[in-house]
Amino acid sequence: MQARLRAMQARLNGMPHLRRLGRLFSETVLLKVDDAEYYLVFDRGALAAIQCGPSRKTPWRFALTTDAEALEAFWQEKPEPGFHDIFGLVKIGRGRVDGDILTLVKNLRFFKEFMALGREVEEVAA
Amino acid sequence: MSGTIEAITGRYLKLELGGRAHRVYFEEAGQGRPVLCLHTAGADTRQWRHLLNDAELTSSNRLVAFDMPWHGKSLPPEGFETEEYLLTTEAYVETVLAMVETLGLERPVLAGCSMGGRIALQLAALHPERFSGFIAIEASDFQPAWYDIDWFHRPDAHGGEMGAALVSANISPHAPEAERWNTQWMFMQSGPGVFRGDLSFYTRDDSLIGRLGDIDTARTPVHLMVGAYDLTCTPEDARRTADAIPGATLAVMDELGHFPMSEHPEGFRPYFLAALARMPDAARRAA
Repeated sequence: MQARLRAMQARLNGMPHLRRLGRLFSETVLLKVDDAEYYLVFDRGALAAIQCGPSRKTPWRFALTTDAEALEAFWQEKPEPGFHDIFGLVKIGRGRVDGDILTLVKNLRFFKEFMALGREVEEVAA
Repeated sequence: MSGTIEAITGRYLKLELGGRAHRVYFEEAGQGRPVLCLHTAGADTRQWRHLLNDAELTSSNRLVAFDMPWHGKSLPPEGFETEEYLLTTEAYVETVLAMVETLGLERPVLAGCSMGGRIALQLAALHPERFSGFIAIEASDFQPAWYDIDWFHRPDAHGGEMGAALVSANISPHAPEAERWNTQWMFMQSGPGVFRGDLSFYTRDDSLIGRLGDIDTARTPVHLMVGAYDLTCTPEDARRTADAIPGATLAVMDELGHFPMSEHPEGFRPYFLAALARMPDAARRAA
């Protein structure tokens, strides 16, 4: 998972349009996959750091909680219905969004396109 | 270098709705059986661009689509600047019936998507005599919102961009990228508060539920269509609705989402042709 997140981080750096979309986004997002926690520290549209948890003292703005199997299905090139979008995961009961959801919605295109970058780095071992 | 001109023509009409003057934009193409097409919440007539440009389809069907007031090229009514736009079933029914009358459409097939499909089913229950059949796309009896509709109208964020990002959840990954983004562009352009006002109708008015049993499909056929990737009106929602309408038929479209005619025109076309084939032809409509 860390390798994939690092690959997504690198891909994000190479996507000027996405960096521009996220230029006002400097927040920490908690990605929780089963029992593993990853704190994604965004700084002006760049993923500045990936900190592994669990941590009780790392503040985060919003969190996406899912399971590894669902995330793998989400990262397929043509996901099955429900697994094709982070809100799809929520709708089918395989994901949950907590925290400041309005901040997520204000930056929804940026965050969704960031999460979808995992679809283009499938050669990276999880 | 030379360009081409599409067969679609667009014009404006003036009519009274709710006792107030409105200027409404409509497009049409083709000749033959009239088919009136209704767009989804937060969008406009452009969602139907591919079907209106389908020469085979328009060789025997007159496809007409219009922008609801507040949408696309249809202006909001005078005084809108102090109003909160909230669509209601009553206003929507009045608008569709007024368009049918003003355009002189003789018992058209009514094809609506999402909130347009919802109102098509309302009209199937309330005013079936004005239509020859109903194609309800991504339509169901009722769903409450799985999001906060107030997100889409606030002074500190762009409702259009947020709305587009949200509805992308309803677009199939099989949709061509260009059409996915054309579909989202309409939401990005939507006027402030309009998507929210449409969603108010779509997610808060459950009056259709008690009327489904009144629909007489022997008189006017009802065909529902739903995309497997639609998170808003899921195949389960559409099936529940079809089951509550005696004689209604349903097609589940495996690789399509909530905006099938716009997001994936090639994928949608055969389903729409099949739906039209279920509707009365010109001779039967005249009988």
